[in-house]
Amino acid sequence: MPETVLVVGGGPAGLEAARTVAQLGGRAVLVERRDVLGGTPDESHYAALTPNMGSAQEALDILRAGVRDPAIEVHLGARLSAFAGSAGDFTASVTGADGATTEVKAGAVVVATGFQHFDPGRETQMYGYYEHADVITLPDAEKMLSEHRFVRPSTGEPPRNVAFIQCVGSRDRRLGNDYCSKVCCGVASKEAIEIRRLLPDAKVYIFYIDMRMYGYWENEIYWPAQEQYNVNYIRGIVTEIVAKEGRLLMKGEDTTMGRPLEVLMDVIVLSVGMEPSRGTREVAALLGVEQNRFGFIATPGEPMDPVGTSVPGIFVAGAAAGPKDLEDTMGMAGSAAAKALAAARQAGVRTAGAVS
Amino acid sequence: MTLQARYADVPVETKQRLFDEVRADIRFKDYLFGCYECGICVAACPSARFYDFSPRKIAQATGREDLGMFYEQLNDDIWNCSQCFSCLRCPRGNNPGGLITIMREVAINNGLTSARQALEGYGRVVYKIMSTGTQVSPDMLQPNAFPDWGPHVAEISENLELWRRALPPETLHTTTTAWYVDDKTLTELYLIWHMTGVLDMIKEVDEGLHMILNDVMEELLEEAGYSTA
Repeated sequence: MPETVLVVGGGPAGLEAARTVAQLGGRAVLVERRDVLGGTPDESHYAALTPNMGSAQEALDILRAGVRDPAIEVHLGARLSAFAGSAGDFTASVTGADGATTEVKAGAVVVATGFQHFDPGRETQMYGYYEHADVITLPDAEKMLSEHRFVRPSTGEPPRNVAFIQCVGSRDRRLGNDYCSKVCCGVASKEAIEIRRLLPDAKVYIFYIDMRMYGYWENEIYWPAQEQYNVNYIRGIVTEIVAKEGRLLMKGEDTTMGRPLEVLMDVIVLSVGMEPSRGTREVAALLGVEQNRFGFIATPGEPMDPVGTSVPGIFVAGAAAGPKDLEDTMGMAGSAAAKALAAARQAGVRTAGAVS
Repeated sequence: MTLQARYADVPVETKQRLFDEVRADIRFKDYLFGCYECGICVAACPSARFYDFSPRKIAQATGREDLGMFYEQLNDDIWNCSQCFSCLRCPRGNNPGGLITIMREVAINNGLTSARQALEGYGRVVYKIMSTGTQVSPDMLQPNAFPDWGPHVAEISENLELWRRALPPETLHTTTTAWYVDDKTLTELYLIWHMTGVLDMIKEVDEGLHMILNDVMEELLEEAGYSTA
């Protein structure tokens, strides 16, 4: 019987990790909380992916097809309810929606429990997310864009002026989220392009602290947004939004121009960042892996080992370990899968040696 | 888009029309891509050290299609540029100085009062450069000749002969060549002024000068077999 790797989470990281384990000749048991595979990109209705603008569902379908393999056992609507053991000899209880519990023996574990979008109403009400219908978030905009439309939620009419506010829930000491969420600049720019494609008469603004468009995102997303789609990037963060004449009045500073800014907008998109998902917090506690001060799973071997956790035999992939884009996530998933299988095999060899 | 300070009384349609004229220029797409607002152009700009002038803001206002700011710049900023093109070191490949070239042409072609005022003191230079192809000659150095040369010109003029003798190199030797230009060269030059619309441009800012230049050019062009009508 080949060594088994337990993969927790059926998003891009978990799907890729399970597929890689099977491709390397191992056996994977994939546990997913929801009834469908695909994780946050599916649950939050992602439209097009950043930066290549390809369909999110088509990309996920490739990953979903990857786990249709006799060597991969998928548990949907299931949660991890108990966990014990050490590298090479873990035992996990997987509880389904019907309450039935299955015991899984695994030599190693890959945690791929992901992130959740920052809730802009949680700590403060400064942008009035729960007050103004036309103040929405990146995933709210994704949902509309996945339906090939973009309107003012209050009226159903297309907006004339659209603003994105960057770093909502990120890079903020008051919130305790000191980190940059890494993808929001790219995602906002991608959405801005999609909005300009849908509504060529709309003006789209992105209000930012720094634009962080790593590597090829620079020339594949940022430059085209600015140069071909005339998206206006304005350095300055909005301090508050108030309702005025049925529209939204934004107050901020145009810092590079050195002047105050008061503009009427029709839709304001809050570029919410990443926080550890509830699943990441719960699974980390159950598995006994250390979390960093933000609640993400700690990777003490950084920078040379981005996938090892504080517990031997348990690895992490994707945004469960902190803000990641899909490129990082897929790379980590392959690495975590290979290292997990190697750890399980090594432990198996040791056990075999002890028996003989 | 922002709190507007100047030219609030100018109709937005006027600002839009002038902006569209700038954007429609054939050079525009090669002069403006996107702006990082990094300030490398301002750091390199000699004018920015002496005036309240920023090539970055020119690129920004144009890129953002900020009509209010564009119109302010069209009137109050573009004549502060020395057209040295140090701003070409832009990492995005922008050319703020080139944008200003286009904006100046639009300002003049539309007879903007600010353009007229900006060029008022330069009738002599414009006359010289358009009639001979060279900008100044040493004998043109007179106390009130060039307002942009500053107050020292008057001071220097007082003892100009002495200054000239004190300087080791020759200072008047180019006077003849600055005024005498071959007829063939002049004919070509005048044709360029006519065919590129530069002469029409002058008409918008200084009708008197336009008349004088026309007279100067007419004779030579007709001798060479061209009709100026």
